[in-house]
Amino acid sequence: MSDPLSSTEGSGGVTATAPLHSYGEKFEELFPYYLSLGMTEEQYWDKDCRLVIFYRKAEELRTSRKNQEMWLQGAYFYEALSRVSPLLHAFAKKGTKPAPYLAEPFAITEKQAEYQQEEKDKKTYDKGKALIEGFMAKHNKKFEGK
Amino acid sequence: MSKQLTFTFEDKEYTLEYTRRTVAEMEKKGFIASEITEKPMSTLPALFAGAFLAHHRFVKQDTIDTIYSKLTKKEELIGKLAEMYNEPIMTLVEEPEESKGNLNWTATW
Repeated sequence: MSDPLSSTEGSGGVTATAPLHSYGEKFEELFPYYLSLGMTEEQYWDKDCRLVIFYRKAEELRTSRKNQEMWLQGAYFYEALSRVSPLLHAFAKKGTKPAPYLAEPFAITEKQAEYQQEEKDKKTYDKGKALIEGFMAKHNKKFEGK
Repeated sequence: MSKQLTFTFEDKEYTLEYTRRTVAEMEKKGFIASEITEKPMSTLPALFAGAFLAHHRFVKQDTIDTIYSKLTKKEELIGKLAEMYNEPIMTLVEEPEESKGNLNWTATW
């Protein structure tokens, strides 16, 4: 079967096929897309033609960031649901309480993770210290009597 | 930055460039890039003249013709003009991601 777009067929003796789309038509076809990315009419038509590349790249970054944000939101929902799940149990005992919501947001940067770890370690240390101090005070009291 | 061609003629700096608007305008005036091989004598000067529209719209045709006749390395110039003319459309076409299955190619000239 022959190619329906062949330029050499037919009886007209035409040797060249008109392009399916002129550049101008293609520009107009894609114009709304770039407007939706935030390009101005002037930028698209009159300014540096390479600008579109950077707008596309920016859009890629925006989409990726949005995806990340939505994923994070999903993680918070999941976390919250897990914490209230004891209440959702059909035969939950009377007085069942949900676990409290996260005290602080997830650490999403290395710095935040380090800070949270430090805080956690500090709390553990303080707790241990308080326990030992309590134990010592109690122990000392025993000797005070003697 | 997009591809530009610069030169000085009679103490005036010229910057030749195609924008999407000027390419569309050239097409509306009847310029057909694919005719470059069949009708080079009329297409090439028109291609050259079209490059003035972006920054030097009001330069007279006579001046453009004079500049064109005086420019050296015509063959190279035509290649560059063709590259410049294609740039507004080529930038709209995304490069395929480098992955298995895509073909690399090399020119031998």
